[in-house]
Amino acid sequence: MSPDATVGIVLVSHSAALAEGAAELAAQISGGTVDIIPAGGTDDGRLGTSAAKVQRAVKLADSGAGVVILPDLGSAVLTVRALLGEAGDLPTRVELADAPFVEGVVAATVAAAGGGDIKAVLAAAEEARHARKL
Amino acid sequence: MPASYEQAITLTGDLHARPAGALAVAAAKFSSAVSLTAGASSADAKSVLGVMGLGATTGQHIIVAAEGPDAEEAVAAIVAILAEATRVGA
Repeated sequence: MSPDATVGIVLVSHSAALAEGAAELAAQISGGTVDIIPAGGTDDGRLGTSAAKVQRAVKLADSGAGVVILPDLGSAVLTVRALLGEAGDLPTRVELADAPFVEGVVAATVAAAGGGDIKAVLAAAEEARHARKL
Repeated sequence: MPASYEQAITLTGDLHARPAGALAVAAAKFSSAVSLTAGASSADAKSVLGVMGLGATTGQHIIVAAEGPDAEEAVAAIVAILAEATRVGA
């Protein structure tokens, strides 16, 4: 692993538009230096999740420092868990974050942009659960 | 040598999401602990959600404080980001 590599982020959503929009927002806030790869919708463009899309996204997001995956709801978690359970299907260190989707990706991406390692990025995502809006 | 340092700045614009992100990314590069205080609320400058949660707006007085080996540089960097990013029209 390269010491200068940045942790990558994968967004797994039932909706391609939601994953893309959240990725766009997080990229703007964090300055655009982190690979944030959306993996939303099914392979044929419907609402749902796709293991193949997640797998491709993880490969794209990885630059040697590992990848943090943020799922939106329910079966997005199951899809990622099934992939993580199949050893050898993912090429890098991958962590699944238990975090709110929007706040989580913003916090995780800023942590990655600041040079955080995979543990720090995962922690930033999960701490987002406690952030208050008001 | 560990030191603490602080500086105040009056915002010339609202502290939106993008400057909050730039600020947190910059703060993360320093080993000092860096905090922002706006009125009665404080936030860790390295936490983008914490900085956004301050809800700091135009005219508000912000105290940037740091403690650690690079405290003075950290405060200078954060104050510069606040001054630039919250300028009207930025």
